[in-house]
Amino acid sequence: MTGAGEQDPSGTSSPAAAVPAAPVPAAARPARVRVTAPSPSARERSRRLAAAGPRDAAEQTEAGEVFIRSLIRSQLRLAVVVAGGFLLILLGFPVLLSVAPAVGAIPVFGIPFSWLLLGLGIYPVIGLSAWLYIRSAARNEDTYRDLSEER
Amino acid sequence: MNPAVGVLALLLVAVATALIGFYGLRVSRTTGDFYVASRTVRPWWNASAIGGEYLSAASFLGVAGLILVSGTDALWFPIGYTAGYLMLLLFVAAPLRRSGAYTIPDFTEARLDSPGARRVTSALVVVVGWFYIVPQLQGAGLTIRITTGLPAWSGAVAVVVVVCLTVVAGGMRSITFVQAFQYWLKLTALAVPAAFILVHLAGTGRSFPDSAAVYTAALDPQGPASLYRTLSLVIALLFGTLGLPHVLVRFYTNPDGRSARRTTLIVLGLLSVFYLFPTIYGALARAFAPDLAAGGQADAAVLLLPGRLVPGPAGDALTALVVAGAFAAFLSTTSGLVVSLAGVVSQDLFGGSVKGFRTAAVLSAAVPLLVALSTDSGALAGSVGLVFAFTASTICPMLLLGIWWRGLTPAGAVAGMSAGALLCGGAILIGAQVAPAGPVHELLAQPAAWTVPAAFAVMVSVSRATKGQSPAAVTRIMTRLHAPERTY
Repeated sequence: MTGAGEQDPSGTSSPAAAVPAAPVPAAARPARVRVTAPSPSARERSRRLAAAGPRDAAEQTEAGEVFIRSLIRSQLRLAVVVAGGFLLILLGFPVLLSVAPAVGAIPVFGIPFSWLLLGLGIYPVIGLSAWLYIRSAARNEDTYRDLSEER
Repeated sequence: MNPAVGVLALLLVAVATALIGFYGLRVSRTTGDFYVASRTVRPWWNASAIGGEYLSAASFLGVAGLILVSGTDALWFPIGYTAGYLMLLLFVAAPLRRSGAYTIPDFTEARLDSPGARRVTSALVVVVGWFYIVPQLQGAGLTIRITTGLPAWSGAVAVVVVVCLTVVAGGMRSITFVQAFQYWLKLTALAVPAAFILVHLAGTGRSFPDSAAVYTAALDPQGPASLYRTLSLVIALLFGTLGLPHVLVRFYTNPDGRSARRTTLIVLGLLSVFYLFPTIYGALARAFAPDLAAGGQADAAVLLLPGRLVPGPAGDALTALVVAGAFAAFLSTTSGLVVSLAGVVSQDLFGGSVKGFRTAAVLSAAVPLLVALSTDSGALAGSVGLVFAFTASTICPMLLLGIWWRGLTPAGAVAGMSAGALLCGGAILIGAQVAPAGPVHELLAQPAAWTVPAAFAVMVSVSRATKGQSPAAVTRIMTRLHAPERTY
């Protein structure tokens, strides 16, 4: 890992980028220098976050505002749908086991079904939900970028 | 058990941690490095580090202990701990990374432009961090007492000393390496002995006792958990993960929003694999060591099983490995919490200098040490579960509404977080005094199911009643949070 001095790749004016971070080659290390934290005042930090950077170009027009609102809406809808689907499956398990306790006691390879379900079966569902979400979220962002760069 | 085994394992982990910390110190140069590793840590490293930091005493010792005592009811703990990261991925990961803030209080202030809301968030972060560190130190005390016979306080003190040395020396850059190493150490420390035990049991022909008795035996004096209790626990774990300060600070070390998501996906895989093993230990303990549940030593099941089931030097070696993994758990979670608390405290009290960060780190570790030394430990996984309920009722609503709702105001955020803190904290304190029976105790002992919605309701309604920032400023901030970065 030699990336100690790299600038924030997003190029935003975040506190990290405000520090004059000189690249430090591992071979020729200079003497240790004292550095100070960005420590911006309250207002300054907020203004920096709100300041117009390269990503904010899109929002300076009315069309840009429409695009970003629709991006936020579709990302939120996606997150809620995935979370809702997952929670339905998750809550289905205890309901199933309390409605039909006999099902949970059925032995599979000598282990009761309820143990396999809760100890093993839920984890692939979590991973699958996450994977589906990441694909769709990236697609939403691509759509946003295409729209805001077309203008 | 041979006391030398425990001492040796502890020394090995401490030395390895210090060495990796020192290596990290040599590449950590700027304040940016010091706080968030310059945001250039690769997803696999970062995911291992998140796993290393997250898997605490509650996961390493507590889950198996609870499974020993409560059976299937306890399987919800690892599910909640893992699925919490799914919620984090869905609602928080990428926007939080894109916010460009260092800590949760930084985020609050940037989003709401209010020093007051920042101070309330800082106070909550410090409270959460302290109470999360306490069970780690109690776990260390338990481990030292069980494995070496030394007094429990020496374990807690040892953890605090090692953590302070590493954090003060290296900051987060070295912490990232240390944490990543410790995830793999923890996984190895559970997986290898588990495999050995299973092979050994199969080899000696020692049969697993009657499966129905093992899996359904009622060892819990309080009886099986009610549906309410299970639901409330799952809510606490799912939404509490969102607000854990040491988990959030990790996301700032991703280069951009998309890699923050990729990192979270890897974390989910790492956690799913890890939690297989506490479950196996819990089932083995139900079969071969049910006396631990009755003797109030359930949390020590993982430490004692290898020695009990595998005789001779092989058993000693496996025990040493498990003890090393346990100390990795205490050290990594404690140092992660201390780093994030020190980041918050030093920015608010000491102006954010490196020296202030070091002072703050020592302060952040000393207070929980005093609490841990002056209180008795409950079940590890249970007390960590209550910390999750508290974060879910305070920091989680502020983050979710701040990221997704334009209408959040500083007054709303402060009112909602305070209401959640009072309701949840009060319920936990009163619940500890009420006799453990009846519906009132249920509501107080596992409060997340009603305190989380209450905090959201207060936050939304007070925000509606107060006037917010100018719409143009909110749009700029929302764009920063949600728009993808230009460069990939």
